[in-house]
Amino acid sequence: MKENLDSLTPTEFIALVNQTLEYAYSSVLIKGEVASYKVNQGKWVFFDLKDENSSVSCFMPVWSLRMPIEDGMMVVARGLPKVINSGRFSFTVNTLMPVGDGGLKKAFELLKKKLGAEGLFDEARKRPIPKDLTKLGVITSTGAAGYADFVKILNARWGGIEVQVAHTQVQGMDAPDQMIRALKYFNEKREVQAIAMIRGGGSADDLACFNDEKLVRAIAASGIPVITGIGHEVDESLADLVADMRASTPSNVAELLTRDRVEEKKKLEKSINRTKQAVIQNIEQAARVNREKMMRISESILTKYIDPTLNATNQKTQKCFERMNSELKVLMNAIEQKMKVLKALDPMQVLNRGYAIISGRIAVGEKISIILSQQVLEATINNIKERKKNE
Amino acid sequence: MSNEMSLNQKIAKLDEEVEWFYSDDFKLEEAVEKYKGALDLANAIKKDLENLKNEIEVLSEDFSK
Repeated sequence: MKENLDSLTPTEFIALVNQTLEYAYSSVLIKGEVASYKVNQGKWVFFDLKDENSSVSCFMPVWSLRMPIEDGMMVVARGLPKVINSGRFSFTVNTLMPVGDGGLKKAFELLKKKLGAEGLFDEARKRPIPKDLTKLGVITSTGAAGYADFVKILNARWGGIEVQVAHTQVQGMDAPDQMIRALKYFNEKREVQAIAMIRGGGSADDLACFNDEKLVRAIAASGIPVITGIGHEVDESLADLVADMRASTPSNVAELLTRDRVEEKKKLEKSINRTKQAVIQNIEQAARVNREKMMRISESILTKYIDPTLNATNQKTQKCFERMNSELKVLMNAIEQKMKVLKALDPMQVLNRGYAIISGRIAVGEKISIILSQQVLEATINNIKERKKNE
Repeated sequence: MSNEMSLNQKIAKLDEEVEWFYSDDFKLEEAVEKYKGALDLANAIKKDLENLKNEIEVLSEDFSK
């Protein structure tokens, strides 16, 4: 029997194997410890990923490396298995992330040092977030609890803000690129005055995407000020360090960006009270001045026009005093009348007599505020009926 | 352009009006009218504060690509 001796060249065989590998393993994640890490010609990164029994040779272009790595670090690499022309097996990495507390901490420190040396975290670079925002961009995952907290606090505190939300992943290997695209979107559109990047709490692995070098540089390059609220108070990411403002949590972002309507209402009460006080003080002052003026005039009349040698019981002098007293009383009465009018304007006087002020929309189901002299009651209208005469 | 003042503009105006009561421009004859004006403005601000709402729009752009 004649054998079919159709054969492949080594190049054809390697191409066939790579085609098969690409079909079977288009994207593989390998978790292992980095060994024999080196960078060639400043362009190519080589290292091995190993466990107790095996080792895989890895290769990646240096620009794909988004966090510094070194031997001994635990990492997850995403890539494609490949046989190179020499016949050796290699794993071509396109994304690499440190994992585990040790690896993450080490990568964080290395990148913090590198970017810090470039001045990216300098206070001088930080821009103020505009006050009284009317247009805000938000980068977050809309399904995350942190986003729900942010919206709840934002709506409770203030209103009138147009919020544009860019829904992105906020954890995992794809998150940094998605957040970078969202930053680019807001910077190109130029519609918002500030960008908030928010995410609720999570493990160090979950939050690692906020230590991605390209993302940190994109935040630094943003033409629109960025505020971050990532994780909890204790979590510190490089995104936090480079941002123009750092909030401790997503809820804290809402607090830092807005006024509190409850506080504003209290301020209003204070303002009105201040004006009342100012008017009363001015009237009292005017009364004092007038009283003093009258006293001075009367003294002056006494010394200038009345002969001191005359007896006090002199009839003419007595009449003069009586006239002055009467004029002074008329003037003082007029001032006191003005003060009474002013005090009558004070709603507190009415409340102190047992009345109440009701504010809110009068309709069934609407919430209203009932202001008493000492309390404010919140109530809901259950029923409305017309008031009969004499009722 | 609308003549309607924004909430922040109203708050700023009220602050200005309150300061008048402490300024050298204060005139007792004008005080009651000014006080009434400030009170009206404060009530308008309170109403705005009650009704103020944010507009939240989730963008349709796909940032995964």
